[in-house]
Amino acid sequence: MSERRARGRGAGSTDATDMFDAGGVNARRRARNQRWFMTVVGLPIVLAVGLLAVLLYDVITDSFSWQLVEPRNSGVSFSFSDGFRPFSTWERVVTLDLLAQGQSQDQIDAMLADPEARRVYDARNRVELMLWADGAPLRYVVSSSRDRHLEDYSLAEGIARYDELEAAVEDGQMLYLNPWLDAAFFTKNASRTATMAGLGPALLGSVMLILLVIALSVPLGVGAAIYLEEYAPDNAITRLIELNLNNLAGVPSVVYGILGLSVFVRGIGLGPVILAGALTLSLLVVPVVVIAAREAIRAVPGTLRQAAFGLGATRSQVVFKVVLPNAIAGVTTGVVLAVARALGETAPLLLVGAAAFVPRPPEGILSIFTAVPIQIYAWVSENDIEFTHVASAAIVVLLAILFVLYAFAFWLRRRFRSAT
Amino acid sequence: MTSKAAAHEPDAATLAAQQSSGATHEVPARRAAPQLGDDHVTVRTQSVADADAVVSIRDLSLWYGSFKALHGVTLNIPRNQVTALIGASGCGKSTLLRTVNRMNDLVPDVSVTGEVEYDGVQLYGADVDPVEVRRRIGMVFQKANPFPKSVYENVAFGPRLTGFKGDMDALVERALRSAALWEEVSDKLRQSGLGLSGGQQQRLCIARALATEPSVLLMDEPTSALDPMATDKIERLIDELKRDYTVVIVTHNMQQAGRVSDRTAFMHLGRLVEEGPTDQIFFNPKHEMTERYVSGHFG
Repeated sequence: MSERRARGRGAGSTDATDMFDAGGVNARRRARNQRWFMTVVGLPIVLAVGLLAVLLYDVITDSFSWQLVEPRNSGVSFSFSDGFRPFSTWERVVTLDLLAQGQSQDQIDAMLADPEARRVYDARNRVELMLWADGAPLRYVVSSSRDRHLEDYSLAEGIARYDELEAAVEDGQMLYLNPWLDAAFFTKNASRTATMAGLGPALLGSVMLILLVIALSVPLGVGAAIYLEEYAPDNAITRLIELNLNNLAGVPSVVYGILGLSVFVRGIGLGPVILAGALTLSLLVVPVVVIAAREAIRAVPGTLRQAAFGLGATRSQVVFKVVLPNAIAGVTTGVVLAVARALGETAPLLLVGAAAFVPRPPEGILSIFTAVPIQIYAWVSENDIEFTHVASAAIVVLLAILFVLYAFAFWLRRRFRSAT
Repeated sequence: MTSKAAAHEPDAATLAAQQSSGATHEVPARRAAPQLGDDHVTVRTQSVADADAVVSIRDLSLWYGSFKALHGVTLNIPRNQVTALIGASGCGKSTLLRTVNRMNDLVPDVSVTGEVEYDGVQLYGADVDPVEVRRRIGMVFQKANPFPKSVYENVAFGPRLTGFKGDMDALVERALRSAALWEEVSDKLRQSGLGLSGGQQQRLCIARALATEPSVLLMDEPTSALDPMATDKIERLIDELKRDYTVVIVTHNMQQAGRVSDRTAFMHLGRLVEEGPTDQIFFNPKHEMTERYVSGHFG
């Protein structure tokens, strides 16, 4: 073997034409290697993009379905200006329709004001607001929740069998493409009936959680990063803290859930409330924020610090007038990414006792709560096939929120970079 | 010359190590730089009287951890003159410069013995705030380091630190004029300081240092990253500045020391070898090492 290599090398160095690769053998081999390498590297990218496209297609098509409904309402449609007002749409159209059915305003008001009467009304009927149904802008569809007057076809199936379905529509029935993700989806409360289930409490729960997490983890995380980078002496304790921070960022989130359960829910006795959930998620987020903020602070050139010190700046003036303004892009990007991670966390919230079914939006930081990922998890576990669409609609909302957050982080980076 | 100098350096260093460890290797054919012992006494020509000195450094020693970077340096810096510190890399000239405005305090594990007196105040006295020292003794660094802010805000940075309440516009203009930059930037005060050319950036840094109205300006190789044209402008500027300020400049470039300075101090391995009027140091050096350095034999 070694002899062959030696001979090969000898031949190469004596034969001048071969040395310059006159036949182009080496060039062809390099080109072949290059193609092979590009395939190996490119394939996973193609695969990843393809899978992402499949996921998006699946989720988005699942959030639509064709429904065959037999309305039991007044048969009247209402204009947008009459019916559509944010956060009161459902009640307004129900009121309008019940009026059209001949009930008195007092009766309707009494029903809407009494939670029990309202619950009974909800439980006995499938009530839905439909846009552009029956050629009119807005109508309200009621069918009994126990009958079989509502049938559900997936988007693809409905399109494929449209003519057949259309022909089968009987008198008093209508075929309707239900976009489960409509404006009312954001405000409707949770329900055992798929057509009436909305993301309201979960969305508000998630928003409150995230705001609390930001309020708790940003001062703590950025403060710790500033201390470690600008003030802490370089000794064994600091290095131990650094090591632990890096390890904490990699701890599975379930473990934080157990910690939150034993410390905040049971130890302090908060119970399964928003504050306990937010504290638990903050534990999860702080190490990530610290690491991102430290990277950003470390990226501020030492020459700028020197310049400020040389002009007679105190250490805190250097930190707040030079280091932080120059690190802010990286810090905010890190915070946004960490918060986006917290937004999608399910496991720790399950452990601290986020409820699967919360009928009303939380009223404060000490109410029981649910969050969007928990709600999705609960809906996916439901027996009723229609909940697939509800869950898909919620997944689209969650993905959209994450997309907006990532876009925001990207925009922040660009903005701060162009400012400096 | 530079490459030759670089090639020589390791030789001197290995030799020093060998000698200190007592190894008995044969001395190479090239004549080695003589070593300075603890008994070395700085050679002084026309020394500056204490009364004329704005900064007096007395028997100053400095350690980075256990490494002794300065060995009992004593030097008077005369008012309204330019003093150049020259010497090979690692000789402690930048360290010495930074002791004058206590920038070394920022390095962990630094200890200092000896005295630095400025206007009758002991800068290393117990009740002296290093932040105040740096406000009175300005500094310009090797690489232009304007803040990523507008030209105006760069200059106004120092005064704002102390809560300056007067006419900021006038102060900024005055500082920029003193740094010979006003003509070039008066119409782009709101543009980023990073948009200026390298030489302009360095003059902006000088203006920024002048805006805190110091009486001493320390310059740590201010032109080492600049082209000859920009260097020329800065050197002319230093000539101007000397009327109102005392300037101490560290330089690698001996021609520059010769052009801009009134007095020169030559350092080697943490010791002040010789100091005196620049002409004397360059044309009539008294210590053998100074003679060898200024004639390009090592360094």
